[in-house]
Amino acid sequence: MKSTTDFHSKRDLPQKHILGTGTPMCPGCGGLAALHEIYDIMGEKTVFVNAAGCMTLLSVYPFTPFRGAWLYTAMASAPAGAQGVRDALDILKVKGAIKEEDDLEVIVLTGDGSAYGMGISATSGAIDRDLDFIYLCYDNEGYGNTGHQYSAATPHGVKTATSKGSRGYPGFKKDLFSIWAAHKPAYVATIIAAEPLDLAQKIAKASSLSGPRLLLALAPCPTGWSFDPSLSIEIGKKAVQTGVWPLKEYVDGKVVHTKIPKKRLPVEEYLKLQGRYDHLFHPHRDTKTLQEIQDRIDAYWHKVTYS
Amino acid sequence: MYRIRFHGRGGQGVKTASRILGRAFFNQGYAVQDAPRYGAERRGAPIFAYVRASRTPIYERGIIQRPDCVVVVDDTLMPVPAAAILQGCEKRTLVLLVSDLPAEQWIQRLHIQGNLICLPKAGEGRESPFLWGMACVGAVARLLGVLSREVLSDALRQELVTLDKAAAEQSSNTALDSFDEMKATQIQIKESSVAAAATYPPPHWVDMAMEQGPHTAPAIYAAATSEKLATGLWRTQRPVIDHTICNRCWWLCSTFCPEGAIHVDSKGFPQIDYAHCKGCLVCVGQCPTHAIQALAEQEASRLSGEER
Ligand SMILES: Cc1ncc(C[n+]2csc(CCOP(=O)(O)OP(=O)(O)O)c2C)c(N)n1
Ligand code: SF4
Ligand code: SF4
Ligand code: SF4
Ligand SMILES: [Mg+2]
Repeated sequence: MKSTTDFHSKRDLPQKHILGTGTPMCPGCGGLAALHEIYDIMGEKTVFVNAAGCMTLLSVYPFTPFRGAWLYTAMASAPAGAQGVRDALDILKVKGAIKEEDDLEVIVLTGDGSAYGMGISATSGAIDRDLDFIYLCYDNEGYGNTGHQYSAATPHGVKTATSKGSRGYPGFKKDLFSIWAAHKPAYVATIIAAEPLDLAQKIAKASSLSGPRLLLALAPCPTGWSFDPSLSIEIGKKAVQTGVWPLKEYVDGKVVHTKIPKKRLPVEEYLKLQGRYDHLFHPHRDTKTLQEIQDRIDAYWHKVTYS
Repeated sequence: MYRIRFHGRGGQGVKTASRILGRAFFNQGYAVQDAPRYGAERRGAPIFAYVRASRTPIYERGIIQRPDCVVVVDDTLMPVPAAAILQGCEKRTLVLLVSDLPAEQWIQRLHIQGNLICLPKAGEGRESPFLWGMACVGAVARLLGVLSREVLSDALRQELVTLDKAAAEQSSNTALDSFDEMKATQIQIKESSVAAAATYPPPHWVDMAMEQGPHTAPAIYAAATSEKLATGLWRTQRPVIDHTICNRCWWLCSTFCPEGAIHVDSKGFPQIDYAHCKGCLVCVGQCPTHAIQALAEQEASRLSGEER
């Protein structure tokens, strides 16, 4: 296991990648980019407990990119699966069937459909029970694997398979970070593949702690967000630079922003790269909605700065 | 019975084309099967779809082994063994191909014994890859000789309802224009008789020994077996690193490649694993020294003298 001090500069990032190639994820998948960066640090002494979603296709018998264990669960119950695996490992340790150094880290892997919606009850229960596990949500802001319907993580105004009208999705993205943090678990962090050093430091920190540790990765999705795959990382960077995706962590009862954009770019710089926001720019500019989106981001950062 | 096999890549309208053809046959009073082969329907990945149509009930199932017509929506798949385009083709099989090369060149290169027709990629109404699929379905409908323009037009309308109006109209026009374009040719797709199951070559079964109860779960005991899958075939654009320009920054390309397909060698230079690189071109956009260039895959493999 890594410690937080292993990653001082970008030069310290892993150059050898251990997640297998040949996966069925789309070219340019932002979720896969995050997973491979994380796996390089977590390593193979892990059990991934995967709820149904795009990432379940990673391991379709007899193929898997993992070097350690992986297990499939129903969409709502990955944290319950993690409890079972953790308990089994603990029993094996007590019985002396495995040595302490052969213990495995149990990692729940789910999309936002599970994390923000179907699986939130099981997650809440697992945190209440102080389960020693990591939860990794790759948030592509929709039900990707089934054709990108909207989820509780879909931002306001976005076009999805189930919000096709000229105004897009009428709801607002749920603040899962705060919901998780309100449980007072050991660790909560937001991450993104486009900021690999920040990601590596947080993964290392999560690994060094025990108890419930929850990670939320924004995952630009060329297929669901309709953009050219080559822009996947660029869009991730823009999400951070425009303040759409605040990089932060909750630890020891406090929320700390780990990367505050010095001069925030206008949110349009992020939106206009994605087909799912096309209707805000064509055939007419929807000034009102664009302003609303900008205002909400400004209000968030105002609170960060002055409280 | 007619048996038409479609080949293409995700995003080229292959599945839609096969459904339109199936619908047209159905509207004309045929019994129809149309189905894509389920797999990773990802942009660039080779995909397959099958249409059977008959005046009598169809009892055949599964993939089409002996096609009367093979439709290839993207000519970069022609030399790819995994795409198995010419599998089961006989002298009577018509190959319809979207390609800017002349038909004679393909016939010679691949020793094709039957007819081959090329629809140029650059033609009007073929600006986007999705429209190549539409061009193919129009041409096939005409080459069958048993489907009218009206029947095709209805099928297009029915199957393209999910597109917005302008896109549906453009797709429809592309298909109908190709239909008209084929009026000049004498070539026809001929149906073949219903085959007896016994005449089919048996598939390559892998025998699995029975295991004891606790071991029969579908567990995978080896690491990273996904590397056996050649996702490099999905690529239509190839990133090429110029090591004289690369300054071995902090290996941004290697960190950002979503596939983990770029490794750093012992001298600190990034090396791309072309067997697995899917050609997303994230690395091209992210390299700070602009050391990575994108080349069309066909051109790149020609330059490096590869046979793919
Ligand atoms: C209980 C249940 N309902 C529906 C499904 C069908 N289903 C499979 S994957 C998926 C989408 C999951 O969305 P998300 O969790 O965001 O992951 P993504 O597909 O975006 O990676 C759905 C709805 C299911 N497997 N189980
Ligand atoms: S649909 Fe989106 S999240 Fe799913 S594999 Fe494709 S790019 Fe990744
Ligand atoms: S194009 Fe570049 S970033 Fe994309 S898969 Fe290939 S090597 Fe990786
Ligand atoms: S990103 Fe560019 S400069 Fe950096 S290692 Fe890769 S090719 Fe070299
Ligand atoms: Mg999702």
